[in-house]
Amino acid sequence: MARVKFLCDVERCIDCNGCVVACKEGNQVPVGINRRRVVTINEGRPGEKSISVACMHCADAPCIAVCPVDAIYQRDDGIVLVNKKICIGCGYCFMACPFGAPQFPGDRVFGARGAMDKCTFCAGGPVKTFSEEERRLYGQNRIAEGKVPLCAAMCATKALMAGDADIIADIYRKRVFRRGSGAGAWGWDRAYRGK
Amino acid sequence: MTNSLNDIRHAKSMIFIGSNAAEAHPVAMQHILHAREVNNAPLIVVDPRFTKLAAKATDYVRIRPGTDAAFMMGLINVIIENGWQDKEFIRTRVAGFPEMAAVAKQYTPGAVEEITGIPAAETVRIAKLLADNRPTSLTWCMGGTQHHIGSSITRTFCILQLVLGNMGKSGGGTNIFRGHDNVQGATDMCVLSHSLPAYYGLKDGSWKHWCRVWDVDYEWIKSRFKAKKWMNSKGFTLSRWYEGVIQEDKIEQYTPIKALIQWGCGANSNSMFHKVRKAYDKLDLIVLIDPFPTMLAAAADKDNIYLLPSASQYETSGSVTSTSRQIQWRDKVVDPVHGSRDDYQIMEELVKRFGFADKFYKNIKKTPEDITLELGRGSLTIGYNGQTPERIKRQMANWHTFDIDTLQARGGPCDGEYFGLPWPCWTTEHPGTPILYDISKPVAKGGLPFRNRFGLEHTYSMSGRTENQLAAKGVANPGSQVMGGYPEFKDVVPGTNWKTDLSQKTIKVALSRGMAPFGNARARCVVWNFPDQVPIHREPLHSPRPDLIKKYPTYEDQPNQYRVFTRFKSEQNPELVKNYPYVLTTGRMVEHMGAGAETRSNKYLAELKPDMYAEINPRLANDLGIRDGEMVWIESPEGGRIKVRAKLTERVDNKTIFLPFHFAGFFMGTSLRENYPEGLVPYALGEPGNIVTNYGYDIITQIQATKDGLCRVNKA
Repeated sequence: MARVKFLCDVERCIDCNGCVVACKEGNQVPVGINRRRVVTINEGRPGEKSISVACMHCADAPCIAVCPVDAIYQRDDGIVLVNKKICIGCGYCFMACPFGAPQFPGDRVFGARGAMDKCTFCAGGPVKTFSEEERRLYGQNRIAEGKVPLCAAMCATKALMAGDADIIADIYRKRVFRRGSGAGAWGWDRAYRGK
Repeated sequence: MTNSLNDIRHAKSMIFIGSNAAEAHPVAMQHILHAREVNNAPLIVVDPRFTKLAAKATDYVRIRPGTDAAFMMGLINVIIENGWQDKEFIRTRVAGFPEMAAVAKQYTPGAVEEITGIPAAETVRIAKLLADNRPTSLTWCMGGTQHHIGSSITRTFCILQLVLGNMGKSGGGTNIFRGHDNVQGATDMCVLSHSLPAYYGLKDGSWKHWCRVWDVDYEWIKSRFKAKKWMNSKGFTLSRWYEGVIQEDKIEQYTPIKALIQWGCGANSNSMFHKVRKAYDKLDLIVLIDPFPTMLAAAADKDNIYLLPSASQYETSGSVTSTSRQIQWRDKVVDPVHGSRDDYQIMEELVKRFGFADKFYKNIKKTPEDITLELGRGSLTIGYNGQTPERIKRQMANWHTFDIDTLQARGGPCDGEYFGLPWPCWTTEHPGTPILYDISKPVAKGGLPFRNRFGLEHTYSMSGRTENQLAAKGVANPGSQVMGGYPEFKDVVPGTNWKTDLSQKTIKVALSRGMAPFGNARARCVVWNFPDQVPIHREPLHSPRPDLIKKYPTYEDQPNQYRVFTRFKSEQNPELVKNYPYVLTTGRMVEHMGAGAETRSNKYLAELKPDMYAEINPRLANDLGIRDGEMVWIESPEGGRIKVRAKLTERVDNKTIFLPFHFAGFFMGTSLRENYPEGLVPYALGEPGNIVTNYGYDIITQIQATKDGLCRVNKA
């Protein structure tokens, strides 16, 4: 079966946060919960790059491996989801995740954590598809509607891609090929100065 | 914008000066990055800040604020010195070239370095890059215009493109990005004080033309004014309207301004906002029409203020014009919510109460279609007459038939039309003009020469040379019955010209002869009706370089500029920099829009950018003992002061302070939170950057100079 992936093309990402706002608005994510973020390095200096990051829906996902109550699971298409009714909010997944994806509501007394929330690849969750409960707990189920996740759909520069791994890898490969080594290859500006 | 956003895909190089498209026009970036990736086009960004657009550039050039004209003239000089100019284009389609070249000669790479801070070798390198990679798409935004010499600066951009022969070509052009989808439309309707709609001006003939379009009696319109002379004299501008109230500078009007209606206008986009606020309290009446309470709602202390909640763009319909001169139809998604009304309804209620609804709505029975038809019927100068609501709606229903690269429909009901029927769209059969001044296509198929607007010949005062202003022999659009320059069409219908013949017969005759209604002329490098016939550098009014003020002084004071005394020479004080040592410039952030009333009221955008800040270079901050995140006071020479967070970043150099201008809800250290209507306080409040922007206005347009002021900074 085909597997879905995210791919962010850093040459295209302009740090507009359109993906972040699309995700929040579309899934009515509470303020303070960041299913997706744009991270910028070398801000304000040559070499400034931005990348949009969310749950990468890893193969062999470490969050699944460490979850003590088996609340996290992976679909056949690679999408990693959490069952919020099982999650105990222990935070192990947050420690295990290399991308900082798991989020926890911070409004509980005594600093207790609620159920983990993260990017669903806009695929809802383990309740009845298109139900009010699904929308409330997990947000939209665009995958069931045959649509790509909102973040990628909204990306103005098509930096963020989501979909069949083979197809998006192919698009990216073609882009890199077209850019050629003349477009921003490391050291060229210093070595050749456009000559 | 002479070309379109999509057409940038054909550029072989791009230069952005005073534009931070990555933040201000993120959706346009797809085309810019396409040209960079697919054409391997150099992306040159000239800006005082290392912006998010600069992060995507192949070549970043840091320039001192307000010196753009010097850099452009420097590039032009290097191009001419090396013979890289497009000689054939200049010979056939450009006027005043030798006179302009004589001025450009003074801007040697060394002189440019002295003024702009750009190394001499860099000016030569960029000139060569542009010469080697034609066509170049040139973009500027408010970083190019908001200076006291803004009108000169924008002319240097145009002249550079003429010299390189990049005008009227796919992938070239001067591409000034407008903001949201109807900024261009509002401009075309001349929501300004110096012109009737469609750039007709304020002359008697212009009024009579529009009276014929509106089908109202000219004498009746005249009777609405205190005296006829006010019909023909430019009014106050948005930049300085408040002087009409507070009169700190002398006004030339029989009465001070007594009432204010702000309709879809973010109050805190006015420079020297602390003076604007003074005006609020002196007015007899204030009416604010907006979907969100703007800073005006919070800043006005008086009682006689009315807030009319208007509907958002999703709750109304009608035609809008994009930056690419494309007209589109916007459909209503939902009926207005929260008791708001759409702008048409509010206007209708006002007009009814004023008692002239019969005249106002003479041609308008069906809103908004009849409005589009009426404005099109009158806006012949810019060819708004071919875009009927039926044609626009048909395009909306057939989006998928248009090509992303050419913007032309291939087959289907819109076959051959360009998307949005970009103006001029001369007739209801015309496909629209995707690229202005493109003589490679017949006029009826979207081609266009340069307009003949300033006579047939001119003798230049600077050289004594007389030049024919029409295009050279042999140069015209394919199919033109005159192969060469020709004047504008008039007297086809006796007593009218192409602009005023409402039967549109003149336009049709011109097109049937393969010719443009407005003639075929040369583009001017010398504008003899401007104070600077050829654009030159003049030091910012508030310059950090007293030594350069002597060499490049500003203009004489203007006693009656848009009805108000406007200081130039008397404002340019070489001593000012001693107390206000840092250059202050403003700009945008991607998360907020304009004055921010709408976006700061969105919880997710407010979460991303909750705080007002000042960008300060770490070196300067360390010298001043300011740490990242600490509060600082920024103070202007006019007495404005704001308390904001310091954001240490190398985006700015160590002489420049940058402020975003989207924030409001604080005023010189005090929160105005209590002043907002209950339940409508924006999530993000902050000091308006425009409290500290300086005095200074363009010599022609009176646009405010917000990009090159001075300030001082102290730890709070």
